[in-house]
Amino acid sequence: MADVETIERVREIEVDKYKYGFETELESELAPKGLNEDIVKFISAKKGEPDWMLEWRLEAYARWRQMTEPTWAKVDYPKIDFEDLYYYAAPKVQGDGPKSLDEVDPELLRTYEKLGIPLKEQEVLAGVEGARVAVDAVFDSVSVVTTFKEELAKAGVIFCPISEAVREHPELVKKYLGSVVPQADNFYAALNSAVFSDGSFVYIPEGVRCPMELSTYFRINEKNTGQFERTLIIADKGSYVSYLEGCTAPMRDENQLHAAVVELVALDDAEIKYSTVQNWYPGDSEGKGGIYNFVTKRADCRGHHSKVSWTQVETGSAITWKYPSCILRGDNSRGEFYSIAISNGKQQVDSGTKMIHLGKNSSSRIISKGIAAGRSDNTYRGLVSAHRKATNARNFTQCDSLLIGDRCGAHTVPYIEAKTSTAQFEHEATTSKISDDQMFYCQARGLNEEEAVALIVNGFVRDVIQQLPMEFMAETQRLIGISLEGSVG
Amino acid sequence: MLEIKNLHVSVEEDNKAILNGVDLTVNAGEVHAIMGPNGSGKSTLSYVLAGKDGYEVTDGSVTYMGKDLLEMAPDERAAEGVFLAFQYPIEIPGVATMQFLKVALNSQRLARGEGELSTPDFMRLVKSRAETLKVNQDMLKRPVNVGFSGGEKKRAEILQMAVLEPSLCILDETDSGLDIDALRVVAEGVNALRSPDRAMVVITHYQRLLDYIVPDHVHVLSKGRIVKSGGKELAQELEKDGYANYSDEAA
Amino acid sequence: MAIATQKTAAETAYLEGFDAGGDWLAAERQKGFDAFAVTGLPHRRMEDWKWTDLRQLIGKAYPPAKGGAVGDIDALAAKCPLKDIARGHLTFVNGEYDAGRSQLPASGDVEVTALSTASSALPIGETAADPIDGLNRAYVTDGAFIRIKAGSNADAPLELVFINSSRAEATFTTRNVIELEDGASATVFETHMGGHDAYVSNSVTEVRLGNGARLDRVKLQMEGAASYHLSNLKADLGAEAKLQDFTLTMGSATTRQQGFITFNGEHTDATVSGAFLLNRKQHNDTRLVVDHKVPNCVSRELFKCVMDDEARGIFQGKVIVRQDAQKTDGKQSSHALLLSPTAEFDAKPELEIYADDVVCGHGATSGDLDENLLFYLRARGIPEKKAKSMLISAFVAESFDDVDNEAVRDVLKDLADSWLAAR
Repeated sequence: MADVETIERVREIEVDKYKYGFETELESELAPKGLNEDIVKFISAKKGEPDWMLEWRLEAYARWRQMTEPTWAKVDYPKIDFEDLYYYAAPKVQGDGPKSLDEVDPELLRTYEKLGIPLKEQEVLAGVEGARVAVDAVFDSVSVVTTFKEELAKAGVIFCPISEAVREHPELVKKYLGSVVPQADNFYAALNSAVFSDGSFVYIPEGVRCPMELSTYFRINEKNTGQFERTLIIADKGSYVSYLEGCTAPMRDENQLHAAVVELVALDDAEIKYSTVQNWYPGDSEGKGGIYNFVTKRADCRGHHSKVSWTQVETGSAITWKYPSCILRGDNSRGEFYSIAISNGKQQVDSGTKMIHLGKNSSSRIISKGIAAGRSDNTYRGLVSAHRKATNARNFTQCDSLLIGDRCGAHTVPYIEAKTSTAQFEHEATTSKISDDQMFYCQARGLNEEEAVALIVNGFVRDVIQQLPMEFMAETQRLIGISLEGSVG
Repeated sequence: MLEIKNLHVSVEEDNKAILNGVDLTVNAGEVHAIMGPNGSGKSTLSYVLAGKDGYEVTDGSVTYMGKDLLEMAPDERAAEGVFLAFQYPIEIPGVATMQFLKVALNSQRLARGEGELSTPDFMRLVKSRAETLKVNQDMLKRPVNVGFSGGEKKRAEILQMAVLEPSLCILDETDSGLDIDALRVVAEGVNALRSPDRAMVVITHYQRLLDYIVPDHVHVLSKGRIVKSGGKELAQELEKDGYANYSDEAA
Repeated sequence: MAIATQKTAAETAYLEGFDAGGDWLAAERQKGFDAFAVTGLPHRRMEDWKWTDLRQLIGKAYPPAKGGAVGDIDALAAKCPLKDIARGHLTFVNGEYDAGRSQLPASGDVEVTALSTASSALPIGETAADPIDGLNRAYVTDGAFIRIKAGSNADAPLELVFINSSRAEATFTTRNVIELEDGASATVFETHMGGHDAYVSNSVTEVRLGNGARLDRVKLQMEGAASYHLSNLKADLGAEAKLQDFTLTMGSATTRQQGFITFNGEHTDATVSGAFLLNRKQHNDTRLVVDHKVPNCVSRELFKCVMDDEARGIFQGKVIVRQDAQKTDGKQSSHALLLSPTAEFDAKPELEIYADDVVCGHGATSGDLDENLLFYLRARGIPEKKAKSMLISAFVAESFDDVDNEAVRDVLKDLADSWLAAR
């Protein structure tokens, strides 16, 4: 039954290629192009930040100035002119900005409506009965609205734009910001630390199971802007939270830069489930336009028995450079990484994970499914390491790649470092194509070539899809169909 | 031959108590059947007798031939004549069955102060035992249990028992995964080994095996304790009424 | 890639010790020197050398040298494990041909010479952009040249023996060329032995297989305990050819072995396998690059790595499948057994694939002995030490199955068992 649904869905969407590619006509406030200390100060002032935050940013900026762009990833793009970008863009608002949903610019609300993101609290995510999701909507550089704040506050959960957290919860931000991804961790993380504009902040207090899914929806709208959001999630002892992240951008001929940082902290017995559907504009089939997605995502499983699970569906962006990782510091901590990365056209994906085992009995699991079509390149890059003291560390890795067509590339670059004999590591990787037998069988049952491919690919990624929250499952299956359009024949 | 007194055992990993005071006396020449529902502690008992790591004896004692069995390493127990036929025999890639048997037999003989068996004598011994159990020569050349079917694995276990000639044989769910023909072959092999100086502890969930290997005593294990003992008729009773009564009794 | 500004003592010794010489190899040496002068010794900032920083590891000067052997060379020669299986021998002592310890085959279809005794230039392959190759070409003193004429075979194994022993710290450099013309076949052993003193051994073997040719090569790396062993195998394979290559690594303090296997003709099979038996602080980094340039070829790699004490084993394997190389079947496995809590294994099994109709995969595992296996053996009366030896021996022996010659397999098993017995 599910299969039939998938085919129908694929058929439905055959007409709209990148359905999120529209542009919203809004008046914007932009900082001048280019990056210098004044821009950093401007952003900090716009956010009404305290001095310590500005100093932190300036320190990051100084470090960034001394760094060079990394070149080790298997991606190829013209040099980015960091002086030719806007580092701050915000929809223009009257006075202090919206106090409630009613005050949000209706044009903005319509944008999210078109994207299928519910910003009215009585609404639910498109097509999902009864599921309530709290949403933080980030439009270009600022958070426009966060829903269900009051209800969450009753449970003690803090869910707000990070700019608000800097003002309202400085003790938490000071303690945890940069504690997982240090300011100068890498070129893009340093850039983000200097100019991050907004993003989400989540704190789940001790023993609390977050009463609903939390979600942030990122939208780049403005031309020539970089989006630098920063997300910080702290799960205190014994707490649990499931967090969803979605991203889209309009179709534009120029490339746009997105350099986000996500930091997760899980204390004793806490669990964070982080799911991403990344569907930034990938550029056209000739490789014109699209988002450069250079993202640093890292979790610190700081407490014993803590657990972090990353699930990602990467279908968008012209270039993806992204390695959601886990530092398994706590004894008996656990890290998981489930990934689907689809590349078509001239997309380039270099993505994977790092599982750094430091704690005793820490365990990790990596399931990566890469699908390359068109003239794209799709690379899994990962590290699994066990330090000498990480006795009885366990890892299982399965990396599978599927090639559709003979002009694309699928690559696997895993690093394995076992510094203790008690660590048991198991790594497997395969590369194959959709078998002619499978295709023939599907076609003999009446599916056309594209339907058959979508169906078989959905089967190939099933292990990962199952890790997604309900809200994302249907969207993902649909996205796979769209992403692979034009990949056969 | 074997005396288990008030044996309490828990799993080291999570401190969960599995055996809660097992008492059992097995004399030479006897066949004892231990029956019980899943999770009653049957396999734990067999592993503790064979000396597997990961279990902690929190109370009680096990005396075998007048010696403290729990003090001995697994290979010492084997040399003293304790044999466990595994429920799930382990696959050992790269080690031929024949080589494995030879090393095992000679290690035991050396530990007992007997001389090593010469290769021709060893070959003769294995060949004759293998014929009885319908184990073909090809199987002996293959790595231990690798690629064996369920039935072949169980037959290989009994072949090892026949070659090693232990004094105390513990058969852990030897009937699981066997069809009726394979079960008959295995049971015949076991029966052929019954002797006045050998004792057997047959662990099983079903009465079926006991139609072929007729026990002298039957014990019901439930929640880590022997809750009832009797003759072979007890097994038939269990077959008829199931374990429901005993689970309640122990609770 | 540019050489770091400050040259190390080892680099300085190499740069200053250069002498192209006056023989037919002079031009080759100059090419190698020019290449090395650019790269210098490799270091950890170079991706392929991240786990083996030669700039740091080779802490002293080891000037290029030839001859002047010390110690009991006869005793080392007598210890060569494959000497009784081989039917012809070429021996090089400290990079110098030793006619007295050599015995060349008589057949006219089989051409075997030492490079130094060649009257005219012999075909040496193109320079790979690789520091080991650059160094090797710059300082090559001698080596074996083997050419088997089309359609003939040298299945009676030929043994190349390299014995290094020097009281002065020195680098010995040999280069071998094995050329099998169409339809020819050969079995070649390489045995590397050495004395106790520290030295660097740099050994490159070029293999060229014509269409339908077959080479079985077995290499034993049993260099001296304080030595450095740097080595490249470069194999270019024609159509319907077959390469069976096996390396057992037991010797040296630091080893870097590389294999560059290129498929140039269709329907060719290559099996490259090996075993590591390392203890103390031994370090062995094996890197393989298997390049499928044409369709319908099969590559198999299997490495079984055993590390004891504080030893470190590294396996880097890369399988490249070019756009035209449809129907490629490439599999790569590396399995490590760590016998001591302080032993280490690192792996980077890489796939780079541009053709869609392929079946490629790799597997890598690392861990200690399986407790369940060990218990099973002990439950059958096998004492712990013996049980462990049996399991380790079985683990390693799986890689020996890739060697067709039974007598060689037995030698390999004996070597593994004596290594285990000495634990």
